[in-house]
Amino acid sequence: MKFRIPILVTGVLLAAVMPLIAHHSFAAEFDAGKAIRVTGALTKIEWTNPHTYFYLEVKEENGEVVKWSCEAGSPGALSRRGFKRGDLKLGDTIIVDGYRAKDGSRLMDARRVTLPDGRIVSGASAGDGGPEVPKQNP
Amino acid sequence: MGKHLFQFVMVPAVFFIVLTASSLYGQEDNPLTAVDVKTAKPKPAPRMADGHPDFSGYWKGTRDTTPVGNIGKDLPGFKLPLTPAGEAALQHNLTATIDPESLCIIGGIPRHNASGLPFEILHGAKKIAFLYWYSYYRLIPIDAKRKHSDDPDPSFFGEELGHWEGDTLVIDSVGFKDEKVWIDENANPHSDALHVVERWTRPDADHIHVETLIEDSKFYTRPFKYSRTWVPGKPEEEIQEYSCSENNVDKEHLGFGPGPIRPDGTRGYVDPAPLPPPVPRSTPGEK
Repeated sequence: MKFRIPILVTGVLLAAVMPLIAHHSFAAEFDAGKAIRVTGALTKIEWTNPHTYFYLEVKEENGEVVKWSCEAGSPGALSRRGFKRGDLKLGDTIIVDGYRAKDGSRLMDARRVTLPDGRIVSGASAGDGGPEVPKQNP
Repeated sequence: MGKHLFQFVMVPAVFFIVLTASSLYGQEDNPLTAVDVKTAKPKPAPRMADGHPDFSGYWKGTRDTTPVGNIGKDLPGFKLPLTPAGEAALQHNLTATIDPESLCIIGGIPRHNASGLPFEILHGAKKIAFLYWYSYYRLIPIDAKRKHSDDPDPSFFGEELGHWEGDTLVIDSVGFKDEKVWIDENANPHSDALHVVERWTRPDADHIHVETLIEDSKFYTRPFKYSRTWVPGKPEEEIQEYSCSENNVDKEHLGFGPGPIRPDGTRGYVDPAPLPPPVPRSTPGEK
């Protein structure tokens, strides 16, 4: 309970300082209560507007291999962060942290992407009102 | 003691995190807004050959504009004066419509003025062009002699006519669509009775400003105002290609309305679940 207040304060203040500029609001598509990490092999990359997509094959704990779609910001937004199309190639294993789609499909917001070389980049759609997350451990 | 430790360590820590948010994700990645730096001796606004202010430039919203995307920004409690029909239209937007912009439909006016996205102005003697991200534009004649059509074809930007009142460029618009339109990102409504009067000024070289009067007797009990200031982008910045419908996978997954609205008038969740901690750089690729 002690930590509840700062989390709330952080959320409200971040909301106050962050611009909201996206193609659609984060909250129209994703559930901020359903944080998730998926790790898998890249099977397809769509470096397109209005969003880039990474498609992963992910091995579940029961051994089943499932496909995940990971939605990230526009190519322009990612490029400005130094996240380039050439940073990825099919077959790479990447780690994606984000939030599940509200409709329950295997689609997630790629809030934080860990590349094969260990570099961590933001995949967020800039200013969509979604959660702000730290890139590195403090 | 534990409570004091919380107050004097945790709370300042939280504010530190907030104030350094740009070192997390977001603002460092987001060159689409700017801090408004006001100088003691501002440079005068550039002027056209005819003596009027020249609005040309790439313009960014400032972080002083909150809440962005909410047309009720300047009203107490952000509360819009909705008529019963307006309230019904709002509920329809919230519960039965997907954000038109996310479906690659033009946002129109006044929504583009409330957006967080920058825009570019090319200003000529007889016309002024506003170029928007998503590859939309509006082209407005500047001619005090022109009058509105008797029955203009409905459009998202409306029938827009510009004229000068001193150094103020006035854009008067009627003839709006009443379907597949949200007046702002929060899904507030407007009808085909919408009448928008924008009064644009450039008080100095580094600011443009709009005072907007919004009238819509079907959905709002009285006219209301929306004002906003923008600052210049960097010299190398300009609108880039953006094909909204190139690969709009998300449209199949979007819910109705914008999602939750926070008490501060913005869209999003107040208390999101934390993500798993970042993976240490030494062990990438492991689950």
